[in-house]
Amino acid sequence: MTSILRRTRNASKWTSSLRFNHHSQGVRTIHSASASTTGTNSVNTDEIAHFSKLSSEWWDEKGEFNFLHKMNPVRIQFIREKMLEVAQAENPDLDSGDMLTGLDVLDVGCGGGLLSESLARLGAKTTGIDASESNIAIASLHAAADPKLSPEGTTPNLSYLHTSAENLLPNPKRYDVVCSMEVLEHVDNPATFLATCAELLKPGGHLFLSTISRTPLAYALTIFMAEDVLRQVSQGTHTYSKYIKPSELVQFFRDYPQQDKSNPLSGSSSSRPWISTPSGSNYLPRMEAELRGLIYNPFQARWHLAPKDAWGALECNYIFWVRKPMES
Amino acid sequence: MSSFASTPTKVTWARLAVYRKVAGLQLVRRNSTRASTNVVNSDIVIVGGGPAGLALASALGSSSSLRKNVSVTLVEGGDLTQIKSWNPPPESFSNRVSSLTNTSRSFLQDIGAWSYVDETRTCQVEQLQVWDGISDARIEFSSNDLPSTSSMARLTENLNLQRGLLRHLDNIPEIQVLQKTKVTSIENDSSDRGGWPLVHLDNETTLRARLLVGADGFNSPVRQFAQIPSFGWAYDTQAIVATLNHFPRGAYEGPNTTGYQRFLPTGPIAFLPLSPSVSSLVWSTKPPIAKALLASDPGVLSCMINAAFRLPYASLKYLQNRIVDAHAAGTPLSPDEIREEIQWREHAHGIDQNSAYSCRTAGITNQGIPPADSEMLPPLVLQLQSGTMASFPLRFNHAESYIGDGSKGRTVLVGDAAHTIHPLAGQGLNLGLADAECLARCIQNSILSGGDIGSYTALLPYTQERYLANHTVMSACDKLHKLYSMEDERVVWVRSVGVEVLNELDSIKAAMMMTAGARQSARNSSMSSTGWALAGDAVASLSSGIQTAGTIGRIVGNYVDSVVGKLARK
Repeated sequence: MTSILRRTRNASKWTSSLRFNHHSQGVRTIHSASASTTGTNSVNTDEIAHFSKLSSEWWDEKGEFNFLHKMNPVRIQFIREKMLEVAQAENPDLDSGDMLTGLDVLDVGCGGGLLSESLARLGAKTTGIDASESNIAIASLHAAADPKLSPEGTTPNLSYLHTSAENLLPNPKRYDVVCSMEVLEHVDNPATFLATCAELLKPGGHLFLSTISRTPLAYALTIFMAEDVLRQVSQGTHTYSKYIKPSELVQFFRDYPQQDKSNPLSGSSSSRPWISTPSGSNYLPRMEAELRGLIYNPFQARWHLAPKDAWGALECNYIFWVRKPMES
Repeated sequence: MSSFASTPTKVTWARLAVYRKVAGLQLVRRNSTRASTNVVNSDIVIVGGGPAGLALASALGSSSSLRKNVSVTLVEGGDLTQIKSWNPPPESFSNRVSSLTNTSRSFLQDIGAWSYVDETRTCQVEQLQVWDGISDARIEFSSNDLPSTSSMARLTENLNLQRGLLRHLDNIPEIQVLQKTKVTSIENDSSDRGGWPLVHLDNETTLRARLLVGADGFNSPVRQFAQIPSFGWAYDTQAIVATLNHFPRGAYEGPNTTGYQRFLPTGPIAFLPLSPSVSSLVWSTKPPIAKALLASDPGVLSCMINAAFRLPYASLKYLQNRIVDAHAAGTPLSPDEIREEIQWREHAHGIDQNSAYSCRTAGITNQGIPPADSEMLPPLVLQLQSGTMASFPLRFNHAESYIGDGSKGRTVLVGDAAHTIHPLAGQGLNLGLADAECLARCIQNSILSGGDIGSYTALLPYTQERYLANHTVMSACDKLHKLYSMEDERVVWVRSVGVEVLNELDSIKAAMMMTAGARQSARNSSMSSTGWALAGDAVASLSSGIQTAGTIGRIVGNYVDSVVGKLARK
């Protein structure tokens, strides 16, 4: 599941397991629900139905998902560059190489497998999961035609599972990299979702998220233009209120892991917050987290990764990286 | 591709001497209706072993990451060993010559192929002389006009380039070259297998291509499979090519490094230097004239080449008609008869026997002081190298897209399969090499980001970059052709005034300068495309101006305005 998802008709539904504080400035705090809620599942069934309906479109590169196809190289570029930067900080002699080779990578909300296939081609042992069964079927079928992804006689790099991230938690398997691209704006309980992704990482592992900010510009481009005017994206794909601002994401990882003992997901591996700067600070330590804007140039029909700290670049689509602290 | 299932054992495969490193390909067992057919997965299948296809294979093979990650198979129906062992004596040259731009040459250097090209058989052009066949308005430009490089184009035999590329490929065992192997048909794989292109070969093998590249020339079977329409027309023009022997330039003249081109109403005639005493001819003319000239004695043709650069057009037209009529009557003219005719015409025009404009070759040597203006004209042709006379029809053709779509995806066109161009600026091969460079770069970028190199998304930058660039050059050449085919007095006056008044800024000059590639390094040079766009637009506004404007003055005014305006905006 990626860049683009749906506006739920029943907005009240998705707050069931969440508590929001809509402050006067429009700041939203991502809170974990208390243990009394009905579960920790962040999957929204309406969203899943919406994407299942569209699943056959995933690999039509000129269709519904053409923006995602074009965005894919830029996401991979960010993943490779960031991992190389971190690796070189730890080992200055390191040459640029195949950063992903041999790593265990989880792609949460893989949709038709756009990102998963690319990760697997770059050598990552990739698991793509999605809550929509038809997405997984489409993704598996597409990968089966590719001899590089489904080689005969050897274990493929790529596998798909129809499951939610939460369902993987009981499994002891943890990952070097967890990616979830254009999913966050479609889940019911972003806090649970983020905590689950965080929990699925090995210490020192990388979490990559891309999503859409909650700004008037984002509304204008991703909902008004893309869905209503140009009709390039199915109406109902996005829900404005579910968009998450970069600052909210950063704040979540300043507070994460929470010291709240009542939440079974928090603080199991490390008590140090993932982002160490105080709230209100605009500074993100280079080795802890990074935010970059993704900007679409309609004249070139190409996405660009905005430079670090580019003014206004985070107003719409953006990509976020945060690293799980090493165990001390 | 690091793994493979099994090694093929079919006898047909073993026969293929050039089919190297078979184990590097992945074999797939599948139920096929074709008995005894091996289906082999290959990431990139290039159909066609001409310069564009070979350059693409070389470029792909020159990148270590591509060599490691991508399997490449090039299929060619012809005999490539013959080209590889092509080894003519030093002063004997093939009749197919291209002017390689610096951009093309630095691409070939970057991929390591240029060192396999025999540079002693190439010739650097230091100067170009271009003039109007009717008014004699002339422009000349030399490499000194170029900003940062010392040379313009380098004339290179196509065979020399092809041989160099093949020798380069010999050192890249990862790239499979299947020669003397024909593509019998192309179809889509079943839809549950992604519908990838299946290329059936006449050696019982089928290649399943992630990306199928059509480098298969004007009648591209790949383009037909991909159902990509192409638009264009045949010019009513035939290009005669031949290799010319002449005296070396004398001690008082410059070296034989000047290219000459005269724009006759029947088409341009070009003289391209290859060595001190050998040059190449490309003469575009009307089909009946070409037919009659080629059927004549080679002595007649060499006289006519000299005359075509020298005589006023009225006389040349008369001589051409004489030859066509004599050919039609079955009584072709002899070299002596045509020589006499030319002498008579020269006499009528008051051309002195000893001037540079005389076609008389008897008794001339390159000793002593040459006549005035001798460097305004190419050296007098003495004879044609035997077996080098040939002709081919000229076409303008451009595919509507360079990449296949929908169920015909995973296909891409390069070189003549994508575009066929008028040769007047010598750009055809350069466009093909630029395609190869760009496509190899797109593939490399896609590999870096884990992309599927057969996907539309991976190929889109290729078509975005090349389509407009090619189209600009193609339409500039097309419009130059049309403009200079006109004999209308007003048109001649306008274009001549244009040529002379705007000697520094002129459209042809801009276009021809770009044949030099202008810069050594940056091959995505925006400069060269700006130059072509400028040339194209200037010519376009000139020719449309001619059709519509009421007065000549206004036309010239528009033309000057548009050219100057464009330069100012630059």
